Amino acid sequence: MWSLILKRIGIGLITVVAVSLIIFIGTKILPGDAAQIRLGQNATPENVAAFRERLGLDQPLYIQYLSWLWDFVRGDLGHSLASDVPITNLIADRYLNTVYVSVLTAAIGVPVSLALGIMAAMFPGSLYDRVLTFVSVSLVAAPEFFTATLLVLIFVFSLGIGNAVVVGSAEGKGLFQLIAHFALPIATLSFVIASQLIRMSRAAVLNVMSSPYIEMAILKGVPRRRIILRHALLNAIGPIVNVVALNLAYLVTGVIVVEVYFGYPGLATLIVQGVQTRDFILIQGLGMIFCLTYVILMLIADIAAFASNPRLRHPK
Amino acid sequence: MKRNDPKFGQLGYSDSEILNHMVKRGASRRQVMGWMMAAGATATAAGTVFGTASEAWANTPKRGGKLIFAGDQHGPNDTLDPALFTSAVDYFRGRMFYGSLTRLTDSLGYEPELAEEVLSNDNATVWTFKLRKGVEWHDGKSFTADDVIYSMNRHMGADSVSNASSLVSMIDAWEKVNDHEVRAVLSSPNADLPIALGTFHFKILQDGTTDFSTAVGTGPYRVKEFKPGVRAVGVPFENYWGEGGYLDELEHYGIGDSVSRLNAFLAGDVDAMANLPPKAIDQVTGTAGRDVWSLKAGAYINIAPRLDMGGNNSSNAHVWKAMQLLQDRERLVRGVLKGQGSLGNDQPINAAYFDYCADLPQRELDPEKAKWHWDQTDIGSTAVPVVAAEVAPGAVEQCLFMQREAQKVGINFDVKKVTTDGYWGAVWLVEPIAVASWNMRPTANIMMTLAFAPSAAWNETRWENEQFEQLLVEVRGVTDPDQRRQMYCDLQTMIHEENGQALPAHRNYVDAVADHVGGLTHVPLNNFGGAEAPVSIYRKDA
Repeated sequence: MWSLILKRIGIGLITVVAVSLIIFIGTKILPGDAAQIRLGQNATPENVAAFRERLGLDQPLYIQYLSWLWDFVRGDLGHSLASDVPITNLIADRYLNTVYVSVLTAAIGVPVSLALGIMAAMFPGSLYDRVLTFVSVSLVAAPEFFTATLLVLIFVFSLGIGNAVVVGSAEGKGLFQLIAHFALPIATLSFVIASQLIRMSRAAVLNVMSSPYIEMAILKGVPRRRIILRHALLNAIGPIVNVVALNLAYLVTGVIVVEVYFGYPGLATLIVQGVQTRDFILIQGLGMIFCLTYVILMLIADIAAFASNPRLRHPK
Repeated sequence: MKRNDPKFGQLGYSDSEILNHMVKRGASRRQVMGWMMAAGATATAAGTVFGTASEAWANTPKRGGKLIFAGDQHGPNDTLDPALFTSAVDYFRGRMFYGSLTRLTDSLGYEPELAEEVLSNDNATVWTFKLRKGVEWHDGKSFTADDVIYSMNRHMGADSVSNASSLVSMIDAWEKVNDHEVRAVLSSPNADLPIALGTFHFKILQDGTTDFSTAVGTGPYRVKEFKPGVRAVGVPFENYWGEGGYLDELEHYGIGDSVSRLNAFLAGDVDAMANLPPKAIDQVTGTAGRDVWSLKAGAYINIAPRLDMGGNNSSNAHVWKAMQLLQDRERLVRGVLKGQGSLGNDQPINAAYFDYCADLPQRELDPEKAKWHWDQTDIGSTAVPVVAAEVAPGAVEQCLFMQREAQKVGINFDVKKVTTDGYWGAVWLVEPIAVASWNMRPTANIMMTLAFAPSAAWNETRWENEQFEQLLVEVRGVTDPDQRRQMYCDLQTMIHEENGQALPAHRNYVDAVADHVGGLTHVPLNNFGGAEAPVSIYRKDA
């Protein structure tokens, strides 16, 4: 088991280094440079040159890469090209903001959707199953901005509750105040992840249900509920945990549309702003953080799968 | 009195100045209406204007309450360093926390702020600023001449990273006379210097400031919270020297997406929003308690061909003359800007400027004449590329309208739409024909110096005219009004006739504000009343 985990960690590290190289080269290929973008329409050759020198953009590429990677390992993401503020400062707040929303969404969305999905697997082909399938497939098809607009129209403009933008500070709020504050973004995101989780948990459980040992249990007369909860679910945990982890990673890194729509100062808005200002250092730092989030979450999912399923620990 | 409010378009620059003073001194309704009707206004118009003007003066600001103002783009490059300000969000925040030597008025004159008195010698080459005494910084220190010298020197010299250094490039040195007096010595006359110093970037910092994670200023609010790209929150500074800073809390941030910004404003999450999309104007005026906050301004959009490209000069001239004649200006202003703008006349100075020349005939859509010009070149039906980006409302449409009119007479333009990201660095001033969007500048001279003088870094068409540049420098020292007017008319005529860019429309700054916000300003240089509003805004229902 430990050797398996170490191997996974090793693969994770290689992924991180590979991604770091791609991120670095990618940001360098983009046209324009930070000095120019920073000065915008007001740039003259003289003040652009002065700015470039100040930011160290005149050094060779590989030196820029190596020093950046080394600083990253030490936890120093450098200073924002655009504003000269340490990137860690910029990210810290926003990471917290993003975590608020994703944790709340996960805490509400994940258990509800898993329960709905497993219930659908208990009664495949029933009216409940068919309605749920229809609704979740429709939700997958609806883009986030559509769902968000619909929710804002219904709740903010028709019913007069909730916020159309979520910029205000979350500090000093209790759990229920937080949920109320973030209600619309959480609802939008829950719809997005719910549909996938419902479909996947239903499919995973049904997949196990068609295997011979379940048939055996049915023939022995074990009640259906007991078969699913006691026998099938444990074997289905692997794929379900993976989907949950992917969705959590999505909640941290991929919620650009929702954050921009609600004007919410999280990580995704930050990377959009970073791209707009050509803040290479910021984009690089965020890219690495996103990559680490993915690698770590997938690692946890793998470990959970190993722990729940002895057969994965002893591959033939 | 909303002096730059398009609703009162019938009043000229000087008229509104007079009216303002009359009402301020307590003139009666009868007196004002009599004066206005003598000036040619109808009775109803005069009544409305008096109503608004007196309402504005009758309302004394109330203290207390909180307001949230939402700008548009913000991000990690938000800064508290005035020299590096680039966005409207920066300008607004700067006004919350800092003060400047002079403050611009709605009619683009200036009034003293940290400088109590501004004096110049006869030919405007030496300016003396007598500084206000008893002004306190947010950290309790006293404001002195050293602070001014330090702040001003940051805009001087070739290695300055200031975004506004070109406005003060004629200053040779700043000298300290004593603790409460400084002097600027100029290499060439500049009668408009105190106006330039009232603009966004010349906010006064404490001597030796290098850390901009917070702001220690002399402004009406001090920093409670500042996070780049998240928000800025100000609370009143108890020892502010002047009148203003009425709110318990003033919060400012950007909402980049215009639909979200509008939603937030209509839902009441924010009290004012910048850059109302023209399409939403009717929606806002139709909503109770919400109104449009518009400034009649000299901002403009244009299409600039590079005269230094594309072969021989006589052929070039026919191309750009055709482009100017293919502009459907009426339609752009009515259809795209929804009336929140005015017709452009292929030169940058419009009625919002003091030195506007009204004698210039308006250039109009004339495809036949354009066709004649086109036939003098050997381009024929070959498509001419025009690069456009959505840098302002109408920037892309002006090209599309031109393309459509051109097609009717067999002229082909290939309009390439690119993203706004990186536009100013990679496309603007590089491509042979590209669009741009310009903010208004405080004076005609500054505008022309920045973008039309042959030596200007932003001379978009690379137009070269020695006579223009000489006149532009000469007029800065002219004090005789008639001579000055004539010279500015000549300058505007030269651009109109020879510069080569098509400038089809000037656009207003169009924001929206809730009715419970009082103390709005109307300085037509930027959003939110020229970013001057933070000092005077208050809650009427506080």
